[in-house]
Amino acid sequence: MSNEIWVLAEHQDGKVKGITFELLSGGVEFSKKTGQKVAALLLGYGLEEATKGLLPFADKIYLLEHPLLSPYTSDAYESALLPLLKDHQPSIFLGGATSIGKDLFPRLAMRLETGYTPDCTELSVDEEGRLTAKRPLFGGKVFAEMVFSGARPQMATVRNHTFLIHENLGKSAEVLSLPIQLDPSSIKKKVIKVEKSPGERVDITEADIVVAAGRGIKGPENFKIIEELANVLNASVGTTRAVVDEGWRDLKDQIGKSGKNISARLYMAFGISGAIHHVLGIGTCKTIVAVDTDPNALIFNYADYGIVGDLFQIVPALTEELKKILASEG
Amino acid sequence: MALDFTFTEEQEFFRQTIRDTVNRMIMPRVKELDEKEEFPWDLWREFAALGYLGLRHEEKYGGMGTDTITQMIFYEELARGSCGFFMSVTMQILMGTYFIGRFGNEEIKQRILVPAIKGEKIGTICFTEDQSGSDLAGTRTLATKVDGGWRINGRKQWITNGPIADFATVMATIDPKLGLKGLNFFLVERKTKDRDGFVSGQRLHKLGSRCSVTGELVFDNVFIPDENFLGEEIGKGVQYAGEILNEVRVMTGMSALAIAKEAMEDARQYANNRIAFGNPISKYQLIREKFAKFWAWYEAARTFLYKCAWMIQNNLPCINECMLAKYHATEMCMYAVEEAMRIYGGNAFCTEYPVQRYWRDAKFLLYGGGTHEVLCDYLGRVYCKG
Amino acid sequence: MEIFVLVKQVPDPEATVKIKTDTELEIENKYFTNFFDEIAIEEALRLKEKFGGKVTVLTADPKRVDALRRGISMGADEAIQIADPALEGSDPFAIARVLAAYLKDKPFDLILAGRQAMDDDSGIVGIALAEALNLPHVHSIIGLEVDISRKEAKVIREVENGKEHLICPLPALFTCQKGLNTPRIPLVMNVMKAMKAQIKKLDLVSLGIEASKVGSPAIQAKVIRYLPPPKRPPVKMIKEEFPDNVRTLVRLLREDAKVI
Repeated sequence: MSNEIWVLAEHQDGKVKGITFELLSGGVEFSKKTGQKVAALLLGYGLEEATKGLLPFADKIYLLEHPLLSPYTSDAYESALLPLLKDHQPSIFLGGATSIGKDLFPRLAMRLETGYTPDCTELSVDEEGRLTAKRPLFGGKVFAEMVFSGARPQMATVRNHTFLIHENLGKSAEVLSLPIQLDPSSIKKKVIKVEKSPGERVDITEADIVVAAGRGIKGPENFKIIEELANVLNASVGTTRAVVDEGWRDLKDQIGKSGKNISARLYMAFGISGAIHHVLGIGTCKTIVAVDTDPNALIFNYADYGIVGDLFQIVPALTEELKKILASEG
Repeated sequence: MALDFTFTEEQEFFRQTIRDTVNRMIMPRVKELDEKEEFPWDLWREFAALGYLGLRHEEKYGGMGTDTITQMIFYEELARGSCGFFMSVTMQILMGTYFIGRFGNEEIKQRILVPAIKGEKIGTICFTEDQSGSDLAGTRTLATKVDGGWRINGRKQWITNGPIADFATVMATIDPKLGLKGLNFFLVERKTKDRDGFVSGQRLHKLGSRCSVTGELVFDNVFIPDENFLGEEIGKGVQYAGEILNEVRVMTGMSALAIAKEAMEDARQYANNRIAFGNPISKYQLIREKFAKFWAWYEAARTFLYKCAWMIQNNLPCINECMLAKYHATEMCMYAVEEAMRIYGGNAFCTEYPVQRYWRDAKFLLYGGGTHEVLCDYLGRVYCKG
Repeated sequence: MEIFVLVKQVPDPEATVKIKTDTELEIENKYFTNFFDEIAIEEALRLKEKFGGKVTVLTADPKRVDALRRGISMGADEAIQIADPALEGSDPFAIARVLAAYLKDKPFDLILAGRQAMDDDSGIVGIALAEALNLPHVHSIIGLEVDISRKEAKVIREVENGKEHLICPLPALFTCQKGLNTPRIPLVMNVMKAMKAQIKKLDLVSLGIEASKVGSPAIQAKVIRYLPPPKRPPVKMIKEEFPDNVRTLVRLLREDAKVI
């Protein structure tokens, strides 16, 4: 029985994703209380760079390398992880609330007959290593604090930006390369293509800063002023359901109940009235700025800073102001 | 259990379905429909394709043959959307096709009712003239018996769907001297190359319900064949009018409920968010009183209207009840839209907020199905007589 | 094709949800068919229209059947409710076990579900059911093309900043995401049919499941406390004229919030 804290590492093009560093930072924080070791589970093929990236963030790296593990499928990951989880019985197993974590964890938890809390926005442990997870329900209208019964591991997927990344954890992980046997016939589905969205921006769920416009932008062509602001801030661009339903922006940019929940450090909403569908998706953002012409717009109830004004005036001026300041700081 | 106010699970499901349909199809377009002031043909076709125009007609003509309560649930939910569209739809479902469904021969039903239920032909009913509206005895449009049919002469005003109507159920007198006893209904179609019929006169521009088109129909010595006489015998028109008006009044009351509720729901949200003197204005007693009064009157109006629907469904005599319920619901609605305007303060006066639209749309309820002055005069007279 | 669709009636996004006690919620009685489930129903109906077969809507909600009626009103052929009072308070894994018990000996080509239910937003039941039935699954699909002769499906699923194209053999379970289709608005004729539809009700005994396997005794991760959303400080409105307001905003974001 290993009694460890495990984190499922996600990586893309050799680089470990931010969410993984966040979870490891959180795990190390927990381990100070519980004395447990923190391990990253790294699955895939051709993992040198990712392994290197993880070294300072964990006590151990369990390395599972096999051609069938790249690209990710729940089938292959499950086959590789199940025996390991049964053997080691880690105390805690964390993953990102991502297209991988949310895809894989329900299957593992079902098979292991253990507890799983998806999409958490806060986690804590006590000295015994018992996890308390907080997660939004009803799109964020209420939150639930949840605890686990005796079964191990305690599994949770966690939203981006729930933990801060600590660059100096003082770790140098021991890398344990594990033998792995995968039966190709157990892998039923096959990824034939991964289509990347055009542009350089990261997904709005992963972005540090998100700038968004609603119907107040009046037309798809006007998004260019939002894009320019996003360029200056290295931000991603989001939008509302109404705009997506008009066909002005792609569905992947939609924030809110039928779209994505974001947890950005800074969220700026321009010409967004603040319909319940939308604001449910921004509840866990750290700082929220709202700009709208209507002084009674509901969005101001959710914002930290508000300006009653015309986005067509404010957005370009804001872009210029930020350019000036960021340039002066080099 | 003799007294039961609950809707069945099935009725609740029906309501939810209509609500959802209205939310998806109509709600996103309400502002546009009001501003354009044009009949929304695309929406009409889309809506007709779902089959709702046959709600109260027999299944063999493509209808659904639903009961009165189901129809009233439909009206209440439909009226939450565009009031103008509601008027066009209810004209088609109820008034515009009622007598054709009831008295039309098989050929007429196949030729007119079937396509009307599909939304391919537009129907209307004609009561009002320049000198008569609530005063039906003042009807001057004349039907003269001729060999093999009738000749219709006159002008009808305030005709919902008039400018686009393909067929009309026309109230005409066979002799003005007979007063109410001279009134009868006739089916008249629009004039074409091959057929005599009515032509459109002037179109009206309205304060509210603006996407339903309203205008004048002109009958210039129009010949119609005998089978276009709608009724069992001559002289019963006023009795028939009374029978349809029960349904029309309760239906109108349903739209009053819907408009009032929409206006006050918006006002509630506004009052909870609008800050004045450091508080949301819903914290102030003068504002709260408006909601309390509305709530009481609304609940009473709704209960009364559904009682009327139940009476119609069970063939109980209810002419007075339907008048009272329509009167009460409409006055409640007037209160609601007026107070909602006040809750919005100065913002009520700009068209960015929908509250002014509720106010404009609601005004028609005071005249549709008889002015409140005439209605009250009648009801007061009945009451005093004891 | 034989298709089962998992459906559920959930509180409308507009419904208020209040915390009654630490472990009890009070939910306003405004429900609708889960948005993503309707997308699943629509997709099933389109496949049926293309390939023939049968669409069955299935719920394990012991209380509400409106999602089943919604399914029928859209065009589904049959509605089944697993309606045992013991299901009350079950976690998603227990629901998945119950559904698996029902489905394990049924013939089907495809199970469709919503990406998640808009109540607890877990996104577990569909995927856990696939595990229980030992089926492949694809989560959050936005594209589906079935090749009936090869018994497989080409599926597109949404991932961060892109789309994943997969081939998955059938039978399989897919959870549906917005973008896959636009659900139809039911015809009144079908609405009437749905109002009168017979809904087949099953209890746990008929499925051979012990009551201890469901409900609160079976929960592995339980709620100890409901909490309101974290309170945000009151908004600071920047009331200066343009362009001073923009400068102030930038200053506040840098010095006050320290986010730039």
